[in-house]
Amino acid sequence: MAGHGDSSSSQKKSSEVMNDVPTFSAENLQNNMKVIYYSRTFMSIIGGVIAGILGFTGFMGFIFYFLVMAVTSIGLIAKSKFSVHSYFDSWNRIILDGFMGGLMSFVLFWTFAYDIVHIF
Amino acid sequence: MGLGFIVGVFGVLILSHAAYSTIQYRGLLKIMEEEFSGPPMNVVLELLLGFVFCIWAALTVPGNFHSIHPDSEENRIVSLSANLDFMIFNHRAKAFPLEIEMKLKH
Repeated sequence: MAGHGDSSSSQKKSSEVMNDVPTFSAENLQNNMKVIYYSRTFMSIIGGVIAGILGFTGFMGFIFYFLVMAVTSIGLIAKSKFSVHSYFDSWNRIILDGFMGGLMSFVLFWTFAYDIVHIF
Repeated sequence: MGLGFIVGVFGVLILSHAAYSTIQYRGLLKIMEEEFSGPPMNVVLELLLGFVFCIWAALTVPGNFHSIHPDSEENRIVSLSANLDFMIFNHRAKAFPLEIEMKLKH
């Protein structure tokens, strides 16, 4: 059935409907989602502190946030050794999950660091 | 996990040192009455270094990914849920004397 499931993702596309829908371990998927969530939250906070120190205001800060999230996504994909389908059931999870929640933490720490460094 | 944690703490320390340097730089600019256009180059390098350390810590500390395929190497052992449906109480421990009797013997 899915004996070669860990090989390239293009092979998975043809048999995807047959394999991924009935059988995957939900507990492990949940563990992987938790790992992504922790990583993204921590990187949002660190990105916010850096944006505050650098003195970004307005739109530049949000551009910086997207940049930090893109780097984190690339790091997560590299951590899964580029075989995303053996750890997640869709690409959206590893790329988009935690994006909006991280935005809130980013803005909070961005204003916090900006106030400490530039105003007080 | 210990090493990743230490690297993360180190990265945060580098960032706070960069923040302190920027605060001092702004104080200097206020004395010289110039505009703040950006932190000095060594602070930017320090921020980049702290960022790299924190990325490394963020990817290693939360834990590894587990494979979700049911037939991969690390998923060989199937664990049943630990609820009452699967618990067995009719085993040979009933051959032991009751705990109440053993306590009364003291």
